[in-house]
Order: sequence, then C-alpha cells, then structure tokens
Amino acid sequence: MNIFALDFPPVSHLFVWPDFLFTDTPIALNKTGLIYLISLVLTAGLFWAAGRRRSLVPTGAQTVAEVSIDFVENSIIMQTIGPDGRRYLPFLTTLFFFVFFSNIFEVVPFIQFPANSRMAIPLVLALVVWAIYHVVGIRAQGFYHYFKGALFPPGVPKALYILVAPIELLQILLIRPLSLAIRLWANMVAGHLLLVTFAVLSAALWGTLYVPAVLPFAALILLTAFEIFVSALQAFIFTILTAVYIGGSLHPEH
Amino acid sequence: MSRRLWAAAAVVVAAVALSASAASAAGETVGSCIFDETTTVKKLVDVDFKEVERIKNDIEAGEAKGASDREKEEAKKAKEEKDELVEKYETDLEGCVEAPNPIRPETTEIIWGGLAFLVLLALMTWKLFPRVKDLMEQRTQRIQDAIDDADRQRAEAAEVKANYEAELADAKAEAARIVDEAREQAGAVRADLQARAEADIADMRERAAADVEASKRQAIADLQSEVSDIALGAAEAVLGRSLEDPEVQRQLVDDYIASVGAGQD
Repeated sequence: MNIFALDFPPVSHLFVWPDFLFTDTPIALNKTGLIYLISLVLTAGLFWAAGRRRSLVPTGAQTVAEVSIDFVENSIIMQTIGPDGRRYLPFLTTLFFFVFFSNIFEVVPFIQFPANSRMAIPLVLALVVWAIYHVVGIRAQGFYHYFKGALFPPGVPKALYILVAPIELLQILLIRPLSLAIRLWANMVAGHLLLVTFAVLSAALWGTLYVPAVLPFAALILLTAFEIFVSALQAFIFTILTAVYIGGSLHPEH
Repeated sequence: MSRRLWAAAAVVVAAVALSASAASAAGETVGSCIFDETTTVKKLVDVDFKEVERIKNDIEAGEAKGASDREKEEAKKAKEEKDELVEKYETDLEGCVEAPNPIRPETTEIIWGGLAFLVLLALMTWKLFPRVKDLMEQRTQRIQDAIDDADRQRAEAAEVKANYEAELADAKAEAARIVDEAREQAGAVRADLQARAEADIADMRERAAADVEASKRQAIADLQSEVSDIALGAAEAVLGRSLEDPEVQRQLVDDYIASVGAGQD
C-alpha cells in the first residue's frame, strides 16, 4: 500500500503470522499462539510467586496479586453480582490477567503485537462466558424462569413483548457474546494499526526529512502510553461485563 | 543461576524468536508479494502455456487439415486449462492486495489460545488462586485478632483506670473526712478547754473576791475592835474615869462603830 510515498505493509501482514512450529499441522504454533502461552506462564508465575512467600507484609508479586484480587472482588464482583458472586472470583481474576497479558504485548518491545487482535481468544473467552452465564442462570432460576425472565422483562407493557422478546432472545444468545468478543478484538486491532502507522511514518520521515519525524514519533510515544491504558481497560471491561452477565443470570430482578 | 536470570534468558530467547518472525512477515509488502506471485505464475505460464500452445498449434494444424472429434475435444480442454491458469494467476495476484478476512479466527490460534486459557484456569482454581486467597484471609484474620486483642486490652486498662480512680476518690474523701473529724474534735477540745478555763477563771475570781471580802471583814472587825479599844482607852483617859458599867459602855461604842461601818459600806 502506498501512502505518502511510504511503503506500508498490507494490513494482513500486521496480523497474520507465519507458523514456526508444527507447521502444516492443526497445532501449528505462530506468534499469536506463543503470546497466549506466555500469558499463561506470566499469570501462573505471578500467582505462584505471590503464594510462595507467605509474609505478613506483602511485597512484589504478592502485592500485585493481592491488589488485583481485591480490585476484582470489591470493584467488580461486589458492584455487579454481590456477595454470592465471590465463588466466581478465581475465574474472573484469571480472565482479567489472561486478557490483560495478551493485550499488553502490544507495547512490549520486540514483540509488539496484541494477541487479542486475532479473533481466537476473544471468541473463545466470549463463548466460555456465554456458556457460564447460561448455566448459572438455568441453575439459579431453572430453565423456564431463566428464559422467561430474560425474554419477558417485568415492567414492560404486554403489547411490547412482541418486539422485546425477540430482541432479548437475540441479545442473550448472539449479541452479548459477539459484542464481548468484537469489542476486545476491534480495540486491539485499532490500537495495533495506530501504533504501526505512526511507527512506519516516523521511520519513513526519519529516513528522508529527519526533523518532521519528531511529530509522528511524539504521537507514537503518546499512543504507546494510551495503548497501555487501553490494554488494561479492555481487560477490565471484558471482566466486568462477564460479571454483569453472571449477575444478571443469578439475580433476575436486574 | 537464579530464577530471575532464567526468566530474563527465557524472555530474550522468546523476544528474538518473535522479532525474527515479525521481521520476516513485516518485510513483505504488496510490491514484493506481486513480484513473488508474478515470478511463480510466470514460471507456470512458461511451462504450461508452452504446452498448451503446442497442443493448440497441433490442433489448429489438424483443423486446417480437417480435425477429428478427439482433436477438437483436446483443443477445447487445452483452452479450458489455459483459462483456469489465467484465473489462478488473477486470484493469486488479488491475494497480494486483498487481506484475508481479519475477523475470521485461525483454528491453530484457537487451539493454542483456548488450551492456554483452560490450563491457566485449571491451575488457578486448583492451586494458585486459593493459596494467595488463603494467605490474604489469614492476614485479615490475624489483623482482626490483633485489633480485637488491642480492644480487649484497652477495655481492661480502662477498667483498671476506673477502679484506680474510684479508689483514689475514696481515699481523698476518706482523707477529707478524717481532716474534718480532726478539725471538729480540735474545735470541741478547744471549746471545752476554753469553757473550763473560763469556769476556772470565774471560780478563781469568785474565790479571790470572797477572800478579799473575808479579809475586808476581818480587817474591819479587827479595826472595829481596835478602834473601840482605842476609843475606850481614849475616852477613859480623857474622862479619867471608867464608866460606871464598862460592859454597857463597850456595847454602846460597838453599836456606834457598827452603825458608822454600815454607813461606810
């Protein structure tokens, strides 16, 4: 793609990575898959380190893990589900860290790729969440009451149910998981494209005009900081929406 | 080698592996892709098209001589093959500028990502998370215990202080009472002593007065007797003779003196 005489790589080349292990098999591993594995190792490592040194005054990994657990417990679960949502604390904490680490590689030098800009994990996680909130709802309220409460929300004039019920059905079956997955995926795609654009622009201008390269480079630095924020924010949004959906299934009055 | 060094080494190895693949992928541009495709397809065209052309020429030559059905069939087939090759050439070239649908998930990525998440979830729920959470709860319990303990001790201290203060107040009250009592007693003693002293003084004054009175009387009596003696003597001396009845005379004198004394009192 030629923009401002810049040789811009095709968009697919920013997201599709060649396999480097088990090539041409169903378990071929590429950069995206490797980042998922690193996220697994990092999250597990963080909590392993946090639980290893059992000191009264927490330091290092212990602080990070405990602050995060407190945050998920008090700022996510207690705000959306309530005290009976505490049993989902391990799941939601895992979700938060896995999404966050997969995102944050967007700004990690030499890697610089958000694994969630590929649809794989957003979709898998959205489907896991989809399954969980349905199972929770059916277990808490029973199949009939769960779907009745979801499709025919109380307080709506009876005639409107003709409109509301199909929309709600679409919502809980399709729109919720899709919006969950697409929100995360699209945010990370956009962030990655922004960073690449400004990086390519800086490099090209530096190669020819030198001085004007300062502007896109400054923008690149600011955007890098912004993308760190976005990485955490999207992980938070994914987690809190999951909690909201679980809460809605547990307590039909919402 | 410490764990941190191991971790650093692992990160460096991973970073090199990843940046290598990133460089190879990012180095490819639309132009290089088209060039690659053109080269491959050109080779293909060079080989296969020559064959196709040869067949076609053969057929045309045959047709000119009046071709058989088989030859016509072959010509048609050759033409189709050519069209197919052109189509493939076009598709491959389009592939250079047309990105694959970015929202379509890659199966291998789903497998690795899903596996990673499930393994992580299993590890977390089974071991990693409960350990950290237990630790936090133990700490909360310890702090709560410490606070409870401190509260209890504070309550005890307050009780001790209250007791002490009550005792102190009692002691003060007792001291005040004792002082008051002593003061009262002292007052009583003083009043008693004063009364007694006053009585003594009065007594003494009375006695002194009585003494004085007695002395006075005695003196008066002595004086009367003496005066009457002196008067009698003087009278006798002056008259030169005793009165006819001395006893009567004496009585007269005494009465006179007594009347004089009474008049003096």
